[in-house]
Amino acid sequence: MKYNRSIKPSPSSEISFRMPAQGKFVINNELEIYFVKKNDLPIVRLDVIINAGSKFDPIDKKGTSNLLAMCIDEGAGKYNALELSEQFDLLGAHFSINCNSDTIQITLQTLKENFREALDLVGKILIKPHLAAKEFEREKSKIQTRLKQLSDDPNYLANTAFESLLFGEKHPYSFPVLGLGENIPNINNDEIKSFYGKFINPDNSFIIVVGDITEERLKENLNENISDWKKGNTDFHAGTASNPDKKSVYIVNKKDSVQTEIRVGHHSTGRKSKDYFSKYLLNTILGGQFTSRINHSLREKHGYTYGAGSSFNYYKDDAYFAVSTSVGIENTTRALNEIYYELKNIRNGVTEEELSFAKSSITRKFPLNFETYRQVASHCIGRVIYDLPDDYFEKYIENVTAVTIDEVNKAATENIFADSAMTVLVGDKDKLLGQLKDGNYGEIKVVD
Amino acid sequence: MELLNINYQKYKLDNGLEVILHQNKNLPAVAVNVWYKVGSAHETKGKTGIAHLFEHMMFQGSENVDKELHFKYVQEAGGILNGSTSIDRTNYYEKLPSNYLELALWLESDRMGYFLPALNQEKLDNQKDVVFNERLERYENQPYGLAWEILIKNLYESNHPYSWPTIGFADDIKNYNLDDVVIFFKKYYSPNNASLVVAGNFEDDKVKSLIDKYFANIKNGKRSNHLKVVNKKLTGNKVVFHEDNVQLERLYLSWPTGIAYGEDDAVLDILSDLLTGSKNSRLYKTLVFEKEIAQDVSAFQFSGKYAGHFTIVATAKPGHTLDEIKSEIFEEINNIKANGISSKELHRSKIGIKSSFVFSLQNIDSIADHLNSYNFYLNDPNSFSFDLNRYDKVTTDDIINVSGNYLSQPFVELRIIPKSNKI
Repeated sequence: MKYNRSIKPSPSSEISFRMPAQGKFVINNELEIYFVKKNDLPIVRLDVIINAGSKFDPIDKKGTSNLLAMCIDEGAGKYNALELSEQFDLLGAHFSINCNSDTIQITLQTLKENFREALDLVGKILIKPHLAAKEFEREKSKIQTRLKQLSDDPNYLANTAFESLLFGEKHPYSFPVLGLGENIPNINNDEIKSFYGKFINPDNSFIIVVGDITEERLKENLNENISDWKKGNTDFHAGTASNPDKKSVYIVNKKDSVQTEIRVGHHSTGRKSKDYFSKYLLNTILGGQFTSRINHSLREKHGYTYGAGSSFNYYKDDAYFAVSTSVGIENTTRALNEIYYELKNIRNGVTEEELSFAKSSITRKFPLNFETYRQVASHCIGRVIYDLPDDYFEKYIENVTAVTIDEVNKAATENIFADSAMTVLVGDKDKLLGQLKDGNYGEIKVVD
Repeated sequence: MELLNINYQKYKLDNGLEVILHQNKNLPAVAVNVWYKVGSAHETKGKTGIAHLFEHMMFQGSENVDKELHFKYVQEAGGILNGSTSIDRTNYYEKLPSNYLELALWLESDRMGYFLPALNQEKLDNQKDVVFNERLERYENQPYGLAWEILIKNLYESNHPYSWPTIGFADDIKNYNLDDVVIFFKKYYSPNNASLVVAGNFEDDKVKSLIDKYFANIKNGKRSNHLKVVNKKLTGNKVVFHEDNVQLERLYLSWPTGIAYGEDDAVLDILSDLLTGSKNSRLYKTLVFEKEIAQDVSAFQFSGKYAGHFTIVATAKPGHTLDEIKSEIFEEINNIKANGISSKELHRSKIGIKSSFVFSLQNIDSIADHLNSYNFYLNDPNSFSFDLNRYDKVTTDDIINVSGNYLSQPFVELRIIPKSNKI
């Protein structure tokens, strides 16, 4: 077969993809259920999303929400902690609880034949957790040790220092989800119980189910196992008073580090801002993909790092932009200068070619975002949490495609600010201070 | 389980390339997955890490694809891509919308057949820097990041192919030259040392003609991937201390065992689950839940084509010593050797494994990689049922036997301890 190998093949005919339909109903206690039927495998996945994340942690008791998430499945109903865990294991069910800044998320994934029995266990955990003192003390000790362990981890130190300094200490997103080591001793089991009583209720939650089950059967199973969950308070809001952005460098000293963890960034507009899609395309070009400008410069051109990227990070009530990488210590300021250059330069505009690449990449990838049960669930969860329109996914490709180059360039000048970006470096203080003295990096501070 | 009976076709091109096709039309997506039968085990001392560095070079372009364009073309098509290097093999994969299948075949075939003309010193120097930074980021600057390297160095004889880390030693990474890369390519990157899986949404006759179009003209080379490996037993226990930038002490106990898919491989997997796989598992329950002397504990059987080892890892809680933990671990092992395990415990492990098999079928790219893996280790891509059955037939006696046969033998004990000069 004769052909010219130097010519890149074109795609065959266009593909067609239909988003799986999403239903919504309420059960007897008015808990909202979102449901996507998916039956390529005999799997049912259920997520309970509770508006009870670490942003609601009381002052001086940072870590309360996460500790509740750790304790809530340590015994419930007629089962103690070990028995409960064993029940899930005997059903082959994957069960986990995660806490983030905005929510506590309870996840169950089972084969469909075991869904009903596993759901009964989830119901017990939501409605009748023991929250016993003995289990609480063990989990509390575990998290204290965990925080100590994490203080050795440069990546964790960089992320938590960046958020803490960006938001300022009074802000609900300024402290780590796992809490502050010095606060954990202040938390007692009564606080966990009262946090449970206040936040863990159906009007402050929703459930999403993705799986091989009929809507009728699902409704029946949920009413049977979850509808005793008593209504309570709702509509909690965390405050949002933030530090202003200011050009500055903070060094978190980590003696003997062979690398510097770098974060550079500043506040940004929220998830519902009108230029969301422009920002998304902009970041895809700037640092959102392997072939982005930042990774090209730091990795493929200069070889300073294994990888570098940027992102707009959206919480429910706030957002920021950050560049993230780690480099050999001796290249720290060289890498910083390249990052600042890219942040300044993107404000001069992107090319048509870059934009068409970004659009093509995002729109063509769309069907691949709905392959696993987890992917379908997490996209639907995001839509609900960020209060996006019902037809968000139906209009997604259209919305990305409609963005013009002028809009992306406007998004760059309105959302990327090299001159007020804050920099966090985790590394060996003495080596870093030496490098930083010959440059214009704003105020330089060493923090604990 | 009928679900695990994966439809496939397997055939060979004249140049020796193995082709495995699996049709699955759940999504308009297709996965392309190439395994080269070369990993870090095929390296020599002084040139460690070359298999992994070579994986990086495969993304630096080929005769008809410029530097960075491999990534760019796949991402522009909405696809994802990457590669990875292990002790036994190197894989490369793309997952794309199904109408871009031809693009992926073109890209994979170009670097399989036409890699050398695009190679130059500048690209090599750049990727040496990148890989050196990868070593810093993922190993040297990570808490406990060098533990694995120290463990295998002590478990295997110094010329054993599993005795060095896949990333390679820092000095070796700095010293590779262009000749090393050229020789490596010629020796290992030929179609008769590779297998290609295409899985997902495609038309049967179309995919075969495209594979023919792009791969059939690539010349085969000499096959030279077979290693002669002698596994020697440890002559006695070895205790190794390593100081690291950490606050909590960590204990690693590691015993030489057997090869991947060998007769005791699945039994050892189940043993690891019985010891540390759940809250009710023996060691988790004792060390973390009841006595609270460890922060975490895990166990696993790590095995490849030529050898394997079984490892238990536990981190001490502040105020507790590795000696306490070690003695509890041995007490539990001796308990299993003497009294066995309950049928309920075994049942619990098996149920979890069965579910995990079904859960693992959610990604077409993961199915594609499994097909290549089964083909590589078992010479039959459709081995999901066979694999599950390995676990299903394990008995309580098997658990007692492997505990006795392997965990009574000499082992390597590694203790990672805080740097004494740490402030």
